[in-house]
Amino acid sequence: MEDLAAHSAPLIVARGLTKQFGELKAVDGVDLDIAPNECVGFLGPNGAGKTTLMRLVFSAIAKTAGELTVFGLTPMQQRKQINAHVGVVFQDNNLDEELNAAECLLVHALYCGLDHRTARRRIAALLDWLSLTAKADSRIRALSGGMVRRLMIARALLNSPKLLILDEPTTGLDPQVRHAIWAALRDLKRQGMTILLTTHYMDEAQQLSDRILIMDRGRIILSGPPNDLVEAHLERYVLQVSGLPAVPRLDGDIRHEHAGDADYFYANTEPPLQALHERLAAKYAILRHANLEDVFLKFTGRGLNE
Amino acid sequence: MTAAEPTVLADLRGDLRLRTNLFWSLYGVWYRHFRVYTKTLLANATPPLLEPLFFFTAVAIGLGNYVQPGGFEGLSYRTFVASGLVISSAMFTAIFETTFGTFVRLVFQKTYDAMLSTHLRVPEIFIGEMLFAATKGAVFSTVVLLVTMAFGARPTAWCVLVPVVGLLTSYLFAAIGLIVTSYVKMINNFSFFTTGVITPLFFFSGTFFPIKGHYVWLDVLSNALPLTHPIEISRALFEAHFTPATLAHVAVLFAYIAVCHTLALRRMTKRVLS
Ligand SMILES: Nc1ncnc2c1ncn2[C@@H]1O[C@H](COP(=O)(O)OP(=O)(O)O)[C@@H](O)[C@H]1O
Ligand SMILES: [Mg+2]
Repeated sequence: MEDLAAHSAPLIVARGLTKQFGELKAVDGVDLDIAPNECVGFLGPNGAGKTTLMRLVFSAIAKTAGELTVFGLTPMQQRKQINAHVGVVFQDNNLDEELNAAECLLVHALYCGLDHRTARRRIAALLDWLSLTAKADSRIRALSGGMVRRLMIARALLNSPKLLILDEPTTGLDPQVRHAIWAALRDLKRQGMTILLTTHYMDEAQQLSDRILIMDRGRIILSGPPNDLVEAHLERYVLQVSGLPAVPRLDGDIRHEHAGDADYFYANTEPPLQALHERLAAKYAILRHANLEDVFLKFTGRGLNE
Repeated sequence: MTAAEPTVLADLRGDLRLRTNLFWSLYGVWYRHFRVYTKTLLANATPPLLEPLFFFTAVAIGLGNYVQPGGFEGLSYRTFVASGLVISSAMFTAIFETTFGTFVRLVFQKTYDAMLSTHLRVPEIFIGEMLFAATKGAVFSTVVLLVTMAFGARPTAWCVLVPVVGLLTSYLFAAIGLIVTSYVKMINNFSFFTTGVITPLFFFSGTFFPIKGHYVWLDVLSNALPLTHPIEISRALFEAHFTPATLAHVAVLFAYIAVCHTLALRRMTKRVLS
């Protein structure tokens, strides 16, 4: 294997990257530059193309058009050199259900090219690190959703990857497990890992990512550090009201949006919204800081687009 | 989750020497199938091993009483049937491994997604899989040989080579299974293949009676069928009688393997990378 540690240039570069399934452009002209040790969060509604983009990176599918390099190498042609240094946590768990936790890791370690002894050492270390040692001999079926997810993460780390790809790592998990997984990912990031993460959770993206990319219909429609995104694209405060019978007359500093049964009033200072809050006396009203979710919904639409 | 231990993270960061050579890749895939299969060995291996033995008792022992006393081709009827069943059992185990088995791994279990996220190449994944099927075939041939011996089949010393023929047979049919699987969209499509192709193959490749010399069209058909050739080789081992025709059967078997192996890899590459 080539020495990839020497790379300080972008780890991943994409220009006009496109993947088409028949007529559908699942990834549509994406430009990307991912620096070493960056953690990038991909947000986007279902079907936005997040998984497809990840799959292009680890050569699970061939691109239709555009340019893509990973570690300066070309996916598909050089998948062996690339994937030796990539770890993937899939959106759907695909551990071998017949085996127990340690055996699942062992077979994957062999795929990665570890010898049995190194594999055993790393499996013990990873299980310990993710608090799974007690479950080493448990069948996959007997594990909780959170344990299986941690096992998926352990599996992705067996080959000591330089790039870790996590496709919705915490979807459907309880808050305790999510926080545990975030802690683990932050540890990895401190160790220099480059991380690509897709998620539906704004808090997850905000907590972990240096940079957030919002995707919709195969395109990256917005990109930037989480806090900058909010500042750049929204007023600082929002008054969110549901079940409002009629929209009141607003003074010039307040912007209004309507979606479903909810109304959103935005302003850069708090007092006008406080005044409005009192004036409306609506039952389900909340005055808060505008957040990433507001940005996300502003750009991907507040309605269901499925 | 406990606080991260420094040793663990140091280890995570550490450079590993990865064995990315062909041998280790094939071994990794083979080992996975071996581990999963042997985890529930009894449930997995009992039915496919009992089946040829049912055939043996029903046909060779039962029906065999009514077959011409001298048997066929200089073999007692029990020995004649045994020499076919050692090969057809290898075929069946291989074909099920790479039709239903592969399809479930591909569509439901997403086993290949995990393999493909590593450095493994698609050909390595499927050669490993065919090698596992071949291993199983060799073991099945051996077990069927030993059990039919216990029930009165009379092999020769040449029959130590039966597992090798079983291995080649199952590699060939594993490849054929992969070719079929690469086209299949729904799991029940396989029943057309098993009923329409495998069952006739089983009956018209000379397992239970000599095909040759009845009808010309049957001779031609039978010689075109891939199962005929390993069965003829097996029969030569049981007879300890080798002719230029035996050599021709060996050549055809290898030709079949070469063609089907190439096609299987090409088709599966297309299927899994789309
Ligand atoms: N193998 C495939 N064949 C056909 N269409 C696909 C395939 N994979 C994904 N798609 C389609 O591409 C689009 C993007 O899918 P995906 O990348 O999974 O989105 P996301 O992960 O953001 O939810 C969806 O419309 C999906 O149906
Ligand atoms: Mg997805």
